[in-house]
Amino acid sequence: MIAVPFIALIIGALLAFGLHIQPLHGIEGQYLAVACLAGLDTVLGGIRGGLEDRFDNAIFVSGFLSNICIAFLLAYLGDKIYLPLYLVVAFVFGVRIFNNLSLIRRSIVTIAKDSLARRKRQAALAPTPTPETTP
Amino acid sequence: MSPFVNRITPKRDQWIWPVSGMCVVLGFMVMMAWVTEDNRRSRFGLLDPGQRQRVGEASVDPDAFRDMSAQIEALNKQNTELQNALGKGKDSTQVLNKQLQAAKAAAGVTKVEGPGIIVTLRDAPDVSAKSNLPDIIRSQNNIHDLDVLRIVNELISSGAEAISVNDHRISGLSSFRCVGPTILVNDIKIASPVVIKAIGDAATMSGGLNLNDGVLSEIRSMDPKMVTIELAKTMSLPAFAGRTEFRLGAVPKELP
Repeated sequence: MIAVPFIALIIGALLAFGLHIQPLHGIEGQYLAVACLAGLDTVLGGIRGGLEDRFDNAIFVSGFLSNICIAFLLAYLGDKIYLPLYLVVAFVFGVRIFNNLSLIRRSIVTIAKDSLARRKRQAALAPTPTPETTP
Repeated sequence: MSPFVNRITPKRDQWIWPVSGMCVVLGFMVMMAWVTEDNRRSRFGLLDPGQRQRVGEASVDPDAFRDMSAQIEALNKQNTELQNALGKGKDSTQVLNKQLQAAKAAAGVTKVEGPGIIVTLRDAPDVSAKSNLPDIIRSQNNIHDLDVLRIVNELISSGAEAISVNDHRISGLSSFRCVGPTILVNDIKIASPVVIKAIGDAATMSGGLNLNDGVLSEIRSMDPKMVTIELAKTMSLPAFAGRTEFRLGAVPKELP
């Protein structure tokens, strides 16, 4: 099931490709790239929350939209006041992406280990067939 | 089976669909932010110098460029043959074809042959021996984009009819840019020696370049071996192989 969001990501990209959406030119393209970083962080946070059984739909959707807007506006504001604020966004979300990815990895490894241990336990508890005795 | 399993399983997976939905949006956004051949130029100027250098170095694959140049040359030749065939009919079409070929030659999209000069620029041979000198002095012993630009400009003002730099034809859409130790001509990476070929009156062009305090005097003051000029009785310059189509510009429908 964890592959579904990644497939959805590819579907989204193919959708834009299929609808002949033109990539943005100039500075708006840069702002959108920064916003994508925020979106990626929120999506990874959602996957992490899901794997840790702490997922809340309302928090996730509102976080996705607000993070994108904040990242976009911060990068825009930075250019208005001659401060490279996009670097702040890149740094914060970059750190969070690494953090989320490592936690997702841990969750997946834990789930895989648990599943393996459960199978072993079930195999150990299953009754072993008795060998047929020859007369 | 535990009675709780059915209740817990849907809750555990309830994150999949909202996250997937947002992933579709994110994929869409990523495609809109993607740097393509069309928007590369509009985004390039916004990068800081270091990033610009990293991105610029990987901009064109020289092997792919060579293949594409061969294809463009073959297509141009085919195009000219077709135009000539069409022009053989009536006098009016012959005149039109003649004008078309002249316009193509002026735009630099055809091969050109004729007499001219060959200017070769090299980095000073003993740059490495002067490694104790400050960077700013050492960099003056190298050939830069500005040197090439100034020489091309001088050649044009001295009456050059066609110019190529390391066999890359210069047209109205050409550009010169320094990227690290190399120069990009029409976005193609070149390095020292830089061979500039110009077709035109060799004596006039040579005189223009060799003026006192002219474009070459500054380079020669660093090391006279950095510049050599040869006169050529005949030489051939390739056609311009870059993009020639307009994305935004258009010829007005009502011409004066």
